[in-house]
Formats: sequence, structure tokens, C-alpha cells
Amino acid sequence: MSKKKKTGTSLLYQLIGEARGYDDVIIMGRGDPDFDTPPHIVAAAKEAMIHHHNDYTPPQGLLPLRQAIAERVKRVNNIDVDPESEVVVTNGGQEALFLMVLAVTYPGDEMIVPEPNYNTYADSLAFAGGVKVEVQTYAETDFRADPQDIRKAITDKTRSLLLVSPNNPAASVIAPNDMREMLDIAVEHDLMILADDIYDLFVYDDFQHVSPASLPGGKERALTLNALSKAYSMTGWRLGWIVGPADLMARVTELKAAVSGGASVISQYAGIAALTGPQDAVEMMAEAYRRRRRMVLDALDEMSMKYGMPQGGQFVFADIGFTGLDSAEVAQRMLTEQHVLAYPGSAFSKDRKDYLRMTFLQPEDQLMEGLERMKVAMDNIMAEKQ
Amino acid sequence: MASNTKGAILARHRANDDLNTPLLPQVARGDSDLAADGMRGPLDERIIAAASAALENGHTHYVDVPGIGPLRDAIADYLKGAAGGHYRQGNIVITAGLQESRFLSVQMIGEQYDSIAVPAVIHPGLRKALGLRSRNPRTIAVSQAKGYLPSIEAIAQAASDGCRLFYLESPSRLSGAAYAADEVAAINQIIAEKDAAVIWDQGLAPWVEGAYASFAALDSDCARTAAIGEAYSGMGLASWFIAYIAAPEAWVSSMQSQKQIMAICTSTASQYAALEAGQLYNEARGRQLSRLAQLRADLLSAASEAGLSVVGGEAVNVMALKLSEDNMKKISRAGIDFAAGSLFGAPDVIRLNVNHSTAAALRALS
Ligand SMILES: Cc1ncc(COP(=O)(O)O)c(C=O)c1O
Repeated sequence: MSKKKKTGTSLLYQLIGEARGYDDVIIMGRGDPDFDTPPHIVAAAKEAMIHHHNDYTPPQGLLPLRQAIAERVKRVNNIDVDPESEVVVTNGGQEALFLMVLAVTYPGDEMIVPEPNYNTYADSLAFAGGVKVEVQTYAETDFRADPQDIRKAITDKTRSLLLVSPNNPAASVIAPNDMREMLDIAVEHDLMILADDIYDLFVYDDFQHVSPASLPGGKERALTLNALSKAYSMTGWRLGWIVGPADLMARVTELKAAVSGGASVISQYAGIAALTGPQDAVEMMAEAYRRRRRMVLDALDEMSMKYGMPQGGQFVFADIGFTGLDSAEVAQRMLTEQHVLAYPGSAFSKDRKDYLRMTFLQPEDQLMEGLERMKVAMDNIMAEKQ
Repeated sequence: MASNTKGAILARHRANDDLNTPLLPQVARGDSDLAADGMRGPLDERIIAAASAALENGHTHYVDVPGIGPLRDAIADYLKGAAGGHYRQGNIVITAGLQESRFLSVQMIGEQYDSIAVPAVIHPGLRKALGLRSRNPRTIAVSQAKGYLPSIEAIAQAASDGCRLFYLESPSRLSGAAYAADEVAAINQIIAEKDAAVIWDQGLAPWVEGAYASFAALDSDCARTAAIGEAYSGMGLASWFIAYIAAPEAWVSSMQSQKQIMAICTSTASQYAALEAGQLYNEARGRQLSRLAQLRADLLSAASEAGLSVVGGEAVNVMALKLSEDNMKKISRAGIDFAAGSLFGAPDVIRLNVNHSTAAALRALS
């Protein structure tokens, strides 16, 4: 086989392309919840098509949606924001991320990024001409970002610190004490903080997520993003937001207008329904993810795989170093031989060749089947090794 | 404690006039708002049915970055039919509105060129998109007599000066003026000779009565033109933010990567709505075009009676007037919003949307 060796996103595209060719494939890769959007939200969208399809929306979004967002970030994250001037609605968390990075980065500026992390930050930073300064985290310590390591990475060019908690792909949650220390470091060195709270409703066991903007002195230097994609199963609606201090948000508003002008009015009305309507569907889904996470961890234990305990989020980042193979190869073999797709760690970072990322965003029977197939693939790999 | 880092970011931001260029509203904010870029319009029940059925059937997940296949096909077909473009699915990127089309095209195609030639009078969204990360814009002079489009000579001059990427609107989003077929052929010759490329904003083309000369139609190998426009304007989807880019596949690939980074994909509700709108477009647009053409003809007579100076244009959904500052104030005092030409680079002009409220704006002047 003379497949060209691919890395990063192109490696992922290659695997996804191959996966599409298998009728019985089980995809444990993409971060797209299996649940469809709850019906009351779809119904609200239909209502909006009838009554609001011509509504004008300013670039920062409809005020009633911004109000619902302000209430949500107060209730869940304890961040106080003024819906008039401190909230910008975006086309999903992805656009929020892109705008946040652009908002604080000029060419040559350094951003400290605990690794592994969601790839798009590096891509956005590259677009802005910024420089990523990595701080490594490891499975043995459940991917904890050590504030001391962050301190050491600071130079006179450092302008910002990225905190994705719960993290994708590492599934670590920054502990409250660490979060306070990171904020202290940011204040001491006058850094902006970019906080990605997109998985904040998925925190397991006794772990606790704290938004840096909720801590004293945090709000004025933090931009915080979130989106309806993961918690409400609304990935196809493209609805997210950024909250932050009014002065920086004025810049974010201009950036949003420059990039895409606004967000679909239909998605915005759906978003209002999601945030202000009944929350039982969200709780039901969160409960399902808790159960499934347990299933995955049990199966990985059986396979003797090491992993950082997933403290939050929708992923497990497992160490497959014991196979002696590159994760791209392991993922490829799992896909070709067993038709199950997990994302290789090398798609996230060149230093993560020993890892596989699995999601638990599939119906339970499929997840079970996927894990069984993974076991077969791993057994085969290990048998060959001996 | 005040942050110096933040202060420095904000100071640089405030100094960026291009990025801070105000945008026009996407749709009218009320009946007396004639400033909007997009048209309000009734939404056909079949569009509502199709979009809500898609959502009810679970099309609520991520879809392919450049758009759902059937919509990309539909846009490619539409462009073949309406503008003679030579496109297939692989040439089309569905975007979350025209500003995203502008942003992706000027930023990503612009990355491959040293500079981008931009008409002195152009939609403010372009300046804004360039303000975020400058692609070294060079101004091309425009001709008042041509409805503020650059003359062929000015384009030739820019090409001789070394510009290899051009951003052109036809029709002009200020005046509605469009290049005639012989002019488009002349531009094509310049571009081909210099092995240059064009981003061609043809968003107002559906509102040109009679033949529309598209640049894309002449680019038979689909090698040097990115055409951008709204997906089915006039169908009541302006607030749904849906538009397209049609371009050579090599450019699609870089724009697609960038779209993944900044949006992942476009809202499924908007895409399924557009898919249905496309089915209804020929008939619906035809009706609307004749209605607008009639309205505009009446407005032109009224303007001429009032001694107003109308800027010539082919697109019937807009009407541009040359006005004194006093007259602009009169319209404002009548509670009517208009698109100020100053945002486009032509301070003595205003753009009015053509609809049932436009006559009131003219009355305010007589
Ligand atoms: C950490 C993180 N941030 C942002 C996003 C963007 O999500 P979306 O644009 O679908 O809201 C994702 C998606 O996977 C993510 O994992």
C-alpha cells in the first residue's frame, strides 16, 4: 500500500473519506452528538420561519437572544455581562473561537496553549500571524496544565493564554485552584485570557469547572466562548457566542461584521427557545453521556489502555503507546479491518502519536459494538507484535 | 488594574479605519428603511415546509464544509443557466451570507497575490473584510459616467501597473450599473493577457432586466474567476444569511479549509431553504423583476420631474441619486434611511432601495 503519509486535518479527512465507504462503519471520531435537536427547538425555528423570516439582525445578534445568553452565563458560569454591549452571537463556537483569537492577536504575538488542544486554535492563530507557545500535559497527570509550566513559557511577546476546560481532546477540567492561579499569572503578566467553555455542562464525578471570567479581576481580561452545538445537539445550526468586557466586545463586534455580517435569524430564534425553554432534553442527553463514558472506560480498562481520566467533555484520549505503533497506523487499521473510526492523536499534535481520541456520541448499542470491534483490532495488533 | 495589553489591542483596533467601516443592514429595519443590502420578501410556504421538514428529519447536525451536495449542484446549475458560468459541484462553496463570501474570497485568493485591485467606489463590506488582514489593496479609479464602475482603461492601467487580482462588482452595489457584453469581453482580454484573476461580485445580477453579461461565462476553463453572490435573492432569505462562491477547484480547496477554521459549515436550515428556493426561483424572480422594473420606471419619471440627478444603472432593485448635503438631510428628516454613498467612496451619492416606500423619499425632495 503506498498511501501518502498525511498529518493533521488532511489525515482526518482521508480517514473520514474512507469511513464513508463502509455501510457498517461506527464513527467514534467526530464531535457531533448523535441526538437530533430537541423537537421544541425545531418547532420554534418553524415559528420563526413564519413570523420572523424578514427580521433585521444586527451583527452582534438579536437582543432577546443576547439577553438569554447573558442569563445563561450568569446562571451556569457566574459571569455578569450586559446583553447590550458584552455579548456577540456567532456562527457556532467555531466562529467564536476564530474571532476571539483575532481579537487579541496581532502578528508576532504569542499565545500560550496547553497541549493537546483543539486544532482550530492553531489554525486561527496562524491566520492572525500569531505564535503558539505550547505547554505540554500528560495522561499520567490527567492532562493537568501546571500553572508553573505556564509561567515558565511567558516571554515579553506573550499576549494571551488559552484555557479550554473541559478540554478537547484531553477531557481535562482545570481545577478551581489552578484556575485561580492561572488568572493570577495572567494579571501579573498582563495577559488576555481566551476561555472556551463549550463543554461546561459535561463535567463528571466530583470535578468542577470554573470560568475565569467569574473570578475577581477575570472579566476585564477574558473573552469566553460557548455554543449550543454540543449541549443542545445543535451542531448544524451554527450558533454560539462570545461574552467579555464591553471595550473588547466592541472590537469583537467589528470582527464579526467583517467576517460574516451576522447570524441566521432562524437559528437565533431557535437559540432563544433552546436557552429559555425546558431543559429536560439537555439533562437527558448529559445523563446518557455519563453512562456511555463509563462504558468506554470499562472497555479501555479491559484492553489495558491507559488514559487520562476524562473529567469532562465528550472524549477519551487514550494512550496506545504500548502497541509500538503510530496512532495514525492504529486508527487506519481499526478503520480498514474493523470499520470503526477513532481519531489519531497525531491529527491533534505531532507530539501525540501515541494517542487515540474516542467520543461517546453514539447510541449505546453502536458504542458497545464499536468498542468490541476496537478490542478485536487491538488484539490483532498485539498478537502480531508477539 | 487597567491592562496595558488590552489598551494596546484597542488602540490598534481604533486606528484601523477599514475594519471599523460601518456595514449596511442586511434587511430593512422597517418600512422607511431603504438602506438595506438585501430584500425583504414573502417566504413561499413551500420553502418553510422544506426547511422545517429537513430539521424535523434530523438534518440538525454538521454537514460538509462547502455545503450540502444538492445545493452546490443547484447553484452550479443556476449559474450555468443564468450567467453562463462553467461550474460543477466541486466549484461551489456555500457560505453563511455574502459577507462571508467576500471575506473568504478576498482573504484566501488574496493570499496568493501580491496585491488586490479594488475600485475606488465599492461596497463597504469589502473594505471591512480587507481591514481584518490587509491584502495590499490598490485603488482603481472609477468613472461617474459608468455608474461608478471602473472604466476598461482604468482596469488595463492597473494590470499594467502589476495588479494580478481584481475585485469587481457588476452590477455596482451602489448604482446598479453593470458592464455591457463588449466591456466584459474587453476586461476578459486584459485579464487573460496578464494571466490575472478576478473576484466578480454578481449579487445584483438577478435584478438586471434583459441580458446580463457575466464575467464567469467567458472563463470557460473556470480558471481565473471567483463569482460571488447571494443564494436566490428576493426569496425572503436575506436574514437567513446564505450565499455562494463559485471558483476554480484549487481556490475552493483553500477557501474550504478556511471555512472549516472559521465556521465548520453553513446552517442546515438556511441550506435546505435555499435548495427549495432554487426550485421556485425562475418563476418568482421573473414576477418580481417586472414589478420592480415598473416601480423603478415610475420613480425615474418622478425623479426627472423633480429635477433630480439619477445615476444610471441596470439593476432595477436600487436607484442611486446624486444629491447635495441639504437634500440628503431632507430625506433623513422625513424619517427615511438610505445607504450613504460615502460608505462606498462616493460621498455625493445615495442609494435607495426600490420598493413601495421609495416614492416618499423622492417626495421629501420636491
Ligand atoms: C473546544 C471546542 N471549541 C469549539 C468548537 C466548535 O464547535 P461549534 O462550532 O460546532 O459550536 C469545538 C467543536 O468541536 C470544540 O471542541
